[in-house]
This record gives sequence, C-alpha cells and structure tokens, in this order.
Amino acid sequence: MAQHADIVEIVAPREAMAGDRVDITVRIKNLYPATIGIMVGGAQEYGVAPWPGIEFPTNWANVLGGVTQSFSGYFTMPYRAVKIHAYSYYYAEGTWHFDDEMIRTIDLAAVPESELSSIEIISYARR
Amino acid sequence: MNGVYLPSQFGILFLPLAAVQVKPGDRLRVTCRYSHIGKGETVTLYAAIGNSGWAGFDEILHGSKSISVPEDTSWQYREDYVDISITSAISAGIYDLYAKIDGAIPEVISPTLHDVVEVLAEIPESEFGEISITSYAKV
Repeated sequence: MAQHADIVEIVAPREAMAGDRVDITVRIKNLYPATIGIMVGGAQEYGVAPWPGIEFPTNWANVLGGVTQSFSGYFTMPYRAVKIHAYSYYYAEGTWHFDDEMIRTIDLAAVPESELSSIEIISYARR
Repeated sequence: MNGVYLPSQFGILFLPLAAVQVKPGDRLRVTCRYSHIGKGETVTLYAAIGNSGWAGFDEILHGSKSISVPEDTSWQYREDYVDISITSAISAGIYDLYAKIDGAIPEVISPTLHDVVEVLAEIPESEFGEISITSYAKV
C-alpha cells in the first residue's frame, strides 16, 4: 500500500510486436493532502540483467493533494513477453523515497500473415 | 512521360524513364520496388513486355523468378529484379512494360509503363548475293 504516491494504473497495450515502440502511461495519485513532488520510474523484466529501463521524458511533477498525475513513457518491445514494473517516489526531507510498485505484462504479438501492398518498376536496362 | 517517384532528401523526386533499345539475344532487366509486412514467404516476381490496350495487357514476352521476402514486422520497401529474355518471338517496334507479384490473380500489380521498350529488328545472318570484277590493273 502506498504511503503518498499511489500507482493507480498502468495504461499499456496488451501485446506488441518485437522492435515496435511501446507507449505507456503511469497514473499516480497523490494521497497526501498537500502538494508534494512525485517521481516515476520503470523497468522491463524479460530475462536479461540488469533490467532495461523505461524512458520517461518527464519523470517527476509537483502534484496537488488528491490529484492523479499521468506520466508518459516508452520502450522498445523485446523479442519476448515483458513484465513492466512501474515505481513511484515522493519527495520529502530533501530526498526521494520509494513508495509503490505496479507490474503489468505485455505479450509478444504474432507477426501477421504476409501482405504486399504495392509494386512499381523503378528501372529497366538491357543486359 | 513515364517515370517513377522516389523519396529523396529534397522531397519526392520524379525520375523520368526513357525508352531502352533491345534486340533478340538481349535480356531486359526489370527492377521493381514493392512494400511488404508480415511473415516471410516465397513469391514470384513477374514482368512482361507487350501492348497495353482497352482489353488489358497483351503479353508477348515475359520473365519470372522466385524471390524470398523476409519477415517484416512493419511496412518495408524492398527491391528485386527479374530478367526478360528477348527472343525473335517479338517483332521490331515500341512496347509497354509491367510487373506483378504472383500468379494469374496477382497480389500486387504495377502501373504500366507505356512505350518504354524499343525492340530493334534482328540483323540477318551473313549472306552474299553476287560478285563481279570492278577493275583490273598491273601492280
């Protein structure tokens, strides 16, 4: 149970194809009755060590009491299913304190059947 | 004028395609660009020379070959070529050109390029008709 920075939700696709960029949103609620600094972090768990991170271009914000803040992040889908770990921190007494964790699994999407959409002749020459 | 549109650092570039001259015994190499997504598969790349008309494309010569398209998890442009052998089955003249991938009902078919192949008349075998003395002198 979070003390101040409660991770409410991870918004992410159920599956993604290897190599695709996966966009996620982590929603964190400030349980404290006044404004505090809240930071987000993330990692990917799929069998490699150390766990690769998740990029959050804006990874912290001053959040009003009782308000839920959304943080957008992204990573590149690996060649297997991945568990994404989202972490929350709050700022107090001059430092960031770890507070909450949420995990969500993203499955590896199957490659679709082969499809061709166009063809054009770009050159021709006598051989 | 026939041509193709190619992406470049300056935007879309129009590359005009001029007619090519061929004669029996030559091969015409037709290079195509196509877009693909999904699992890898082997398909047939096919190109033909002939005449395009209201009833469709009347093929005279064609070439084909199998190509292996690799797996693409997003749309990718790929290039490959097919050769058409020029034989005496085609007479001298100006012809059209098109390409497709797979079978009688193609998965994809290219726009037809009009009047881009000029087939030259076959040069006949060596032959002598007559001979006559045109002069004689002391040397």
